[in-house]
Amino acid sequence: MEQRIENIRDFFIVDKKHHAYRQKQLDPLELTRTLEKEHLDDVERAYRRLEWVLSHEQPVVFSDEQITFVRTVCEVPEIFSEREWDTIRQKHRIHEQGKVSNINCGYMSLIDIGTAGKRKEILTARKTYEARHDKQKVAYLDVLLKVLASMEHFSDRYREAAQKAGNTIVEESLSVIPRKKPETMLQALQFFRLIHYCLWASFNYHNTIGRFDQYMYPYYKNDIDAGVLDEHGALMLLEEFFISFNKDSDLYPGMQQGDNGQSIVLGGVDEHGADAFNDLSKLCMKASLELKLIDPKVNLRVHKDTPLALYELGTQMTKQGLGFPQYSNDDVVIPALKRWGYEHKDASNYVVAACWEFIIPEVAMDIVNIDALSFLQCVMDAIETLDDCDTFEQFAKEVRKRLRVRVAQICANTNGIYMEPAPLMSILMNGCIVKAQDIRDGATYNNYGVHGTGLSSAADSLAAIKRYVFEERTVDKQRLLHALSTDFADDAQLLAMLRYDAPKMGNDDDFVDDLATQLLDWFAEAMEGYRNDRGGIFRAGTGSAMYYLWHADELGASPDGRRSKEAFACNFSPSLFARTKGPVSLIKSFSKAHLERVANGGPLTLELHDTMFRSPESIKKVASLVKTYMDLGGMQMQLNGVNRETMLSAQKYPDQYRNLIVRVWGWSGYFVELDKEYQDHIITRMELDM
Amino acid sequence: MKGLLFDIKELAVFDGPGIRTTVFLKGCPLRCSWCHNPEGIDPKPQLMVSYHSCISCGACVLACDTDANANLCTACGTCVPSCPLRLRRIAGQWWEASDLAKELLRNRTILEKNGGGITFSGGEPLLQYAFMLEVIKNLEGLHCAIETSGFASEDVFKTIVDAVDFVIMDLKVIDDAMHRNYCGQSNKPILRNLEYLKRSGVPFMIRIPMIPQVNDSEENLIATADLLGQAEHLVKVELLPYQKTAGAKYEMISEEYRPRFDVKREPNVYTHIFIDRNIVCSVG
Ligand code: SF4
Ligand code: SF4
Repeated sequence: MEQRIENIRDFFIVDKKHHAYRQKQLDPLELTRTLEKEHLDDVERAYRRLEWVLSHEQPVVFSDEQITFVRTVCEVPEIFSEREWDTIRQKHRIHEQGKVSNINCGYMSLIDIGTAGKRKEILTARKTYEARHDKQKVAYLDVLLKVLASMEHFSDRYREAAQKAGNTIVEESLSVIPRKKPETMLQALQFFRLIHYCLWASFNYHNTIGRFDQYMYPYYKNDIDAGVLDEHGALMLLEEFFISFNKDSDLYPGMQQGDNGQSIVLGGVDEHGADAFNDLSKLCMKASLELKLIDPKVNLRVHKDTPLALYELGTQMTKQGLGFPQYSNDDVVIPALKRWGYEHKDASNYVVAACWEFIIPEVAMDIVNIDALSFLQCVMDAIETLDDCDTFEQFAKEVRKRLRVRVAQICANTNGIYMEPAPLMSILMNGCIVKAQDIRDGATYNNYGVHGTGLSSAADSLAAIKRYVFEERTVDKQRLLHALSTDFADDAQLLAMLRYDAPKMGNDDDFVDDLATQLLDWFAEAMEGYRNDRGGIFRAGTGSAMYYLWHADELGASPDGRRSKEAFACNFSPSLFARTKGPVSLIKSFSKAHLERVANGGPLTLELHDTMFRSPESIKKVASLVKTYMDLGGMQMQLNGVNRETMLSAQKYPDQYRNLIVRVWGWSGYFVELDKEYQDHIITRMELDM
Repeated sequence: MKGLLFDIKELAVFDGPGIRTTVFLKGCPLRCSWCHNPEGIDPKPQLMVSYHSCISCGACVLACDTDANANLCTACGTCVPSCPLRLRRIAGQWWEASDLAKELLRNRTILEKNGGGITFSGGEPLLQYAFMLEVIKNLEGLHCAIETSGFASEDVFKTIVDAVDFVIMDLKVIDDAMHRNYCGQSNKPILRNLEYLKRSGVPFMIRIPMIPQVNDSEENLIATADLLGQAEHLVKVELLPYQKTAGAKYEMISEEYRPRFDVKREPNVYTHIFIDRNIVCSVG
């Protein structure tokens, strides 16, 4: 890494010196109260919020930076008071924080034409609606114009600050952008930073980056061809740009520190099926490898022609212990998305949302994590019928019915969602300007994704019932039911047998793997046919997010020998106490299901001991394993190189492990900053996979 | 024919080319002071207990009819399912050669596609050479490697080397007195077999565990390098620095780890001795 970049990294990341400029005394409630008093509509309020943040910002330009903008306003205000939110909640379902989040916008649709070009677009639409006397639409478009003006004004204040600081590079950039199309890649990155900054300042969150290596490529190519940049220069630029994602990330909303959705997607095929991994993709990998920062989180799109060398590069990244890259398989994901009705062009262009869900840039307002089905809950819902079932098939049928009930409830419960307007995001999404309609009201695709949690626990439970209750008849129904209702308090023998000796998913054992396939098929089938109230479909998935702890906490003991409240595995992974034969059997187990039917997203998560990453030769073998999983038809994979001892020691001496990064459910975070509950879960996961 | 195994491990990344599954055969004629797989030594099944998690519930004592303290234990296995935490297991399972081959062949496509195969390790796998041969025959041409100390009769060594595609051989220390002292046997048969290996035409790799003050001297490594000379099929030499966790499993088989060298010392790792002589050498 070059000295200048190292300095910037130390300044912002290690020493966090920019925190000194943060304005701790600002009261965001002040705006909320004003907005409530003025009885403004929500669109106007959304604009006022952005304007409030930007106008309170105090520009800080550092002398040796080339990409500027740093937050000094710590908290972005709510546009409704608690009381107003209560009223809204009475009539609507609120998803998470009620904001537009976790989608991928078209940064280039603004960058490529500048605010001046965008203003023209808006004015054209405005004329149409004015002619139709559609006051509401005109008013909406006026808000969009005000948003552009706010951004311009804010940027101008930064330009003046740059001038004062004697930073001519920043000053020059900001005299071209945001009004005009950038002349160089540096200016394009500066523009991106401005937009991203303003999105966070609008209280949009999980602001994903998407296929950066594709859309930024023209600027890169131009600079290289024109001799403005060489490869080394481009790498420096990228590194400074990547650092910018970490400057304010502690201020971004998320479940835990690090869960901020800044996912970047590299490589993959283009619309014609050709490999799109390019020189810029390679440089992005290099920048991430050198910087070792948790943002942006790298997702690699792979396909049948992806060379092993790319997997090796990815494995070197895994070795750093950042918990990424995450791999997704174009050969499975693209057909799956098309099956769900996405156009070929759109499906080919898929990106990864905050964790692992597949979304489409610019044209989709999918809510990919609207809810989650607990597979194990469905098994437990049916357990009371066990006594009346004479065959396993009968019991399985009961489980299926319960699953259908749960799915119906989940789908029905998604009606009447309210989301705050997101004017800036709307400027960046396809069709919003022409239709003068905020993105919160929908886009071309308005599908909802539903996670599926506890799959391995549920499949293991069914396997245990099938084997011991119905086939071998070694466990009496009453004994099992009694043990479950008493949390195995007086039947330690049964607990141990179910927990350790019973068949477990992850061992390439069809007996249990087929049951998992069955559960996933039922899930997919149950959702087919339902439509949400935005006209979209429901997508089944194998992800878990934080539900793997929530759902587990609601459940008593289960037939897989899991005791009451014990956690599920996260995502698409073997249960926490399954002792598997090893990684090869494991990837075989997890490639059997009809994944194209449950492609909302959710990776097989594999923990490998860090010694496996010791030499270039062993790295190549781990890379081959990942490639093999994809060749077998795996959909998504994420692996970690970890060492249990290191984590135990980090729990004891957090100060010495400030930089230890681990993957949590769909994102990476600093181990010592996680709640103990998550730390413990990761450690348990480790104990078994070595 | 049956053989005694104490483990099967998938994705063994340090046991030969490509993605491999390693089979650990139980029993070893040597007694290396730094052995980290003590359950591989005794050619009989034996009880292994993870004592550090034991809650002293007593279920295993009740289950045992032999009234066994560790010395009398017959490794009958009766107590294994009695432990509610599954802390007990029998190291050493008898496998029919054809069954083992069948189990290993389940992953054949993946192993072959990734340039790998099966590695026989131990213990000292040559102790069960007949069993190994039968397994290899049943593996239908899948790439096979052996990881051996080289301590075996000339005939046995030749037979197996000729039957496999790759050999990983340990060379612990060249001085015979040292070898007797630290490994419990003379190294004469090993050095004799090494000569055959060099002539055999089978690609091989030499592995040297670097043990502080036992074999990490320049003198020993120069002697080793001289012995290897310019062997045509020598792929590389790998130096494995002594791991401080080597003693972890002794307690589990009710034995005490008594290394007769200074475990706290860092061993020398003189790769240059080999590299200077045009032998590929790395630290494993
Ligand atoms: S294996 Fe267990 S039951 Fe058998 S003799 Fe040893 S201690 Fe007793
Ligand atoms: S049964 Fe298991 S937990 Fe109980 S005393 Fe024996 S080894 Fe310990």
